[in-house]
Amino acid sequence: MLWDRIPFARVVGILLMLAWIPIPAPAITAPGEGIQLEVSPRLCTLAAHEKQCDVVVHASWSAPRAESLCLVLIDRPEIKRCWEHYAAGTYSLEVVFAQDLTFQLRDPALQNVLAAAVLRVIREALEYRHRRRQPWNIFD
Amino acid sequence: MRIPILPFLVTTGIGLVLAQNARADAAGVADQGAQAVQVAQPDKDAQASHGASAGHGCNAPPGDCVAVGHWNLDISIGGGLRTDPVVHEADIPLVVIPHISYYGKRVFIEDLDFGITVTETDASTLSLIASPGYDRVFFYRGDLQNILVPVTVCPCSGPPPPPQIERFPARPRHWTYLAGPEWTFETHGISGQLDLLHEITAQNHGNELRAAVSVPLIESTGSLSANVGLTWKSAAIVNYYYGAPGIYEGGGSLNPFIKLAYSRSLSRRWRLVTLVQYEHLGDAIADSPIVNAHYVMTVFAGANYAF
Repeated sequence: MLWDRIPFARVVGILLMLAWIPIPAPAITAPGEGIQLEVSPRLCTLAAHEKQCDVVVHASWSAPRAESLCLVLIDRPEIKRCWEHYAAGTYSLEVVFAQDLTFQLRDPALQNVLAAAVLRVIREALEYRHRRRQPWNIFD
Repeated sequence: MRIPILPFLVTTGIGLVLAQNARADAAGVADQGAQAVQVAQPDKDAQASHGASAGHGCNAPPGDCVAVGHWNLDISIGGGLRTDPVVHEADIPLVVIPHISYYGKRVFIEDLDFGITVTETDASTLSLIASPGYDRVFFYRGDLQNILVPVTVCPCSGPPPPPQIERFPARPRHWTYLAGPEWTFETHGISGQLDLLHEITAQNHGNELRAAVSVPLIESTGSLSANVGLTWKSAAIVNYYYGAPGIYEGGGSLNPFIKLAYSRSLSRRWRLVTLVQYEHLGDAIADSPIVNAHYVMTVFAGANYAF
């Protein structure tokens, strides 16, 4: 028989090779997965004399399937924008801030974070030089 | 000490400056890559609401660095006095002492001094400065160098001076400015200053040398330092202030001084400051008939507030 002519070791080798061939998984995502959130601008640079940023921030998100979610800002409970059964959304708001701003997409119950993006604050670096040394001066 | 000593001092000073800067520049080149401090650059494709910038440029302790392009103001409030060696002049009270400064990339203003920095390294700095003549403070209580609130010990509102046995003709001592190179350095915590100055306001055409070093004695919660130095004034300056035409003419004067200063930080902006300085007047000044002391003593104790 044919089986008798194929060495057992070769059969085992073929089976092992077949085991290594990747099998594509079905393209199914769980709710909340694959959501992308972007904010623009992503940076705010403060000049040396500026205390805080005052900019209009555009937030946009997209998802592979319709989602119900809310956009929130950390430490800014007054800011919240929700969507129900949408696959994408945008939101623009003017915001004044001095520290990094963290935007989050959460489920409608605000319990789970689905995506996040940070608008960073960079303070303009001051240029320094040496202070004049003047030990001759009586008040130095 | 007469005028011919000045070329020697100038030559020596410039030689020291060049030698020191040559060493410092060589060290600076070697360290440049390691010393450069940059603000973390964002991703190139990141959008920003403003352009980012960077730059630092001072590797000294924070207290020895100053931000470029900013005015700095601090004020010392307390009590103190500076003795006045000129006959019949009352001691100069020290109550409120403001200090203002500005540093650009090259220029700087320190109270009434201003200058242009020619070269600067962590070890030394060479500048061209202009500084007011100092001795006028003993003749005019309202001189800007007597920066204080003159309400406590103003002789103009006190009792009249005692009758003088011999009066010298009064003459004005105008504002003068001196200018020239200044070399400052720091090594092993010791900082030094050497100024070679010439009077540029056409009042006396004199020369002046200012030299001093500051040595830290105690560095803990407070800092105690000792400063020793000297001022050499040419005969032209001595006679402009202390000469009496037809009666007294002095030569150059060498005035050494020593100062002890203690400061302690009380908070982020407040600092306790005390100092005592003794300056010995050279014979050319002390022998003047309008001078009745061989020294100038300055003491002050108070609090300093940095705005």
